[in-house]
Amino acid sequence: MQDRIINEKISQLLYLFKDDIYKRENRSNEIYLEVDIDNIREITAYVNETLAYPLISLFANDERTSSEQYALYYVFADRARGHLLILKAMIAATKAAFPSIAAKVPAAYLYEREIHDLFGLVPSGHPDPKRLVWHENWPEGVFPLRKDFDNHQRVPFVNEEINFSKVEGDGVYEILVGPVHAGIIEPGHFRFSVSGEPIINLEAQLFYTHKGIEKLCEGQTIEKCFFIAERISGDESFTNSMSFCQAIENIAGIQIPDRAAYTRVVFAELERLICHLGDLAGICLDVGYGFAGYQFRMLRGWAYWLTDELCGMRFLRSVNKPGGIRRDFVVGKEKHIIEQLTKIRHELEDTVKIIKSNSLFIDRVEHTGVVSQQFAIDFNAVGPAGRAAGIPCDVRRDFPYAAYGKLEFKVSEHHNGDVNCRMNVKIEECEQSINLMQQALTEIPSGKINEKIPSLQPYSFGCGMSEAPRGENIHWIMTGENNTLFRYKIRTPSFCNWPVVCHAVQGNIVPDFPLINKSFNLSYAGNDL
Amino acid sequence: MFKMMKKIMTYPRLTQDYPKKPLDSHLFVGSPVIDEARCIFCGECVTRCPSTAMVIDKEKHQIGINYDTCIFCGLCAEICPEGAVTMSTAFELAQKDRRLLRKETIVIEGRDPSDESYIVLCNKLQQKIQKKFKRSLQIREIDAGSCNGCDLEINALNNPFNDIERLGIHFVPSPRHADMLLVTGPVTRNMEQALIKTYQAAPDPKLVVAVGACACSGGIFRDCYATHQGVDSILPVDVYIPGCPPRPQAIINGLLMAIK
Repeated sequence: MQDRIINEKISQLLYLFKDDIYKRENRSNEIYLEVDIDNIREITAYVNETLAYPLISLFANDERTSSEQYALYYVFADRARGHLLILKAMIAATKAAFPSIAAKVPAAYLYEREIHDLFGLVPSGHPDPKRLVWHENWPEGVFPLRKDFDNHQRVPFVNEEINFSKVEGDGVYEILVGPVHAGIIEPGHFRFSVSGEPIINLEAQLFYTHKGIEKLCEGQTIEKCFFIAERISGDESFTNSMSFCQAIENIAGIQIPDRAAYTRVVFAELERLICHLGDLAGICLDVGYGFAGYQFRMLRGWAYWLTDELCGMRFLRSVNKPGGIRRDFVVGKEKHIIEQLTKIRHELEDTVKIIKSNSLFIDRVEHTGVVSQQFAIDFNAVGPAGRAAGIPCDVRRDFPYAAYGKLEFKVSEHHNGDVNCRMNVKIEECEQSINLMQQALTEIPSGKINEKIPSLQPYSFGCGMSEAPRGENIHWIMTGENNTLFRYKIRTPSFCNWPVVCHAVQGNIVPDFPLINKSFNLSYAGNDL
Repeated sequence: MFKMMKKIMTYPRLTQDYPKKPLDSHLFVGSPVIDEARCIFCGECVTRCPSTAMVIDKEKHQIGINYDTCIFCGLCAEICPEGAVTMSTAFELAQKDRRLLRKETIVIEGRDPSDESYIVLCNKLQQKIQKKFKRSLQIREIDAGSCNGCDLEINALNNPFNDIERLGIHFVPSPRHADMLLVTGPVTRNMEQALIKTYQAAPDPKLVVAVGACACSGGIFRDCYATHQGVDSILPVDVYIPGCPPRPQAIINGLLMAIK
């Protein structure tokens, strides 16, 4: 039974690298292999290139208390079969360095820099080993995610230098934007290297909203961490809380009741609908198409009425709970919600017809901000950004959770990777979300709404995955003593997609940047943590 | 074109009459309220409150909530063995004085906001502003590390339902044009400098409004190496709007309180 997820590909891997693999452990749909750090380049290159598993997360863990070593976890996904391959490699505490795999597996590029900043583990051979999380004010040699760092200490301000990439040549100049922007958006600093109108290079300095969430959760109770997880990124509150709950349920080995699973679908899809309607409004407003923008904002307002009706919270907070949901939110409201959704669907269809027949608008969005499929694969573009560039991955289908396995829906797929495609993906997903909610509300079974979570074994671990409005969301949790968290690794879709934005704007004109940025609409808070 | 006109005619006016007419809030989850008569002072809510907003004095039989820290999650109402805590529908919670939001007195790192001279200063400023701006107010929003919930609610002030421009309030792109700074987030280490520079760039007299639990007190993110304990540990704050996040109407209520 345990070996049913070991398929041919994995057996091949186990055979080829049998000398480098020390240990194997299977847990539900996760395969953990402990491998030799010295051969990590060969193994990860094999998994990434030959097996074609994308690297979806990479993080470190300070396990010096138990083994005098740091651990690195390389998480690869087999999306076709719905399981995860997690390679664990140990680094001696005295060495504090590991071979970089970024040259072979480009998706590792940012993760390794993050590990360097937070743990002080040096990725040797990294093509661009500069700071990622820290700005110039952070001193050298202070690493907050090490267990011996006291979370309450005040770290002194210093003045280190940040090396931005320089583009040189005749007529090349830089435009600096941020961190405080003209619109009502989150903080981030953008450096455009421009020659005339077209953008040659864009470098984004993020992490202005870095709040130290991962450190904050360490040693805290599961109950408190749940509320922190809800506040990782405001408009993805529900999905983040769902990933957190799933990770806990995965560790506890319990199945949530059907009624809770269907309710989670309703809330998750409502969140997606609200998020996408906001993005569509933003795309229209950024090209000065006021009418359509306000149409979408009106639809979004209608969707917010539904959130008030369902739970009284506009951001769907305090709905989830590890083991199920807090209250029976949908009981008696099904019919009215389905009617309201039908109204939203009709209005959405009408509006979409109008914007698609406006050639001026289509002219602005077509062929703007193109993401090539190869780049999207290399950097693991997820969510609507990936689906618009020909990577039809969707956690709801590939790793079915909640009640998605029992409901019917279509995963959009477009191939041009431009703003138009991303907009179309979002429009189609709005329709699919309304369908899913209506299906779930019609088929919802009666019964219990939550299971009790037993006391968790210390140092057990597991993943929780869900499809946020922006894409694949993966949380990894290792429990500590007395139902606390030992390590909480959050990887939101925004972290994967930021390099894709920087790639997409190249060659476009500066005035198109807001439009391209809006078509991705990434979360800064979700990236910075 | 005709289709567009038809749509515009179908929905002539969506804007709510708030604050002229009160809002129907019976569905909202607002602030938690404790019925002290039913409370048995067991301290369960105090130990489990995720943002440590509950305070208790078991000997004096006193219990209360610091609304500037509360994240309105409803856990206290859920776990109270006696059902003494209930979630009310109150959302207009903004206060000019942070002490009015708290059961407990506060000491804030660096600055003491309950300083008498500070309040006098604020009042003078206020009078000036009332004279100067009367019915028009220009706002610059700064995200100092929020989860983007508060920013989305501030954004929602411009949507057809709230349309804040009808009240003479505009959002401006530059702090140089602003009379008021609307700050969200607990002020992260990396945003500290940017926040101070933006404050300095705004011409005097100016108002600062803290939006959301994080901005009021640091909320659930305080006590961390990368965050401060709210905006008033960096800048003087004129109005505090609690909530996680506060509804758009709660923000309107707070803005009007600032210029009242």
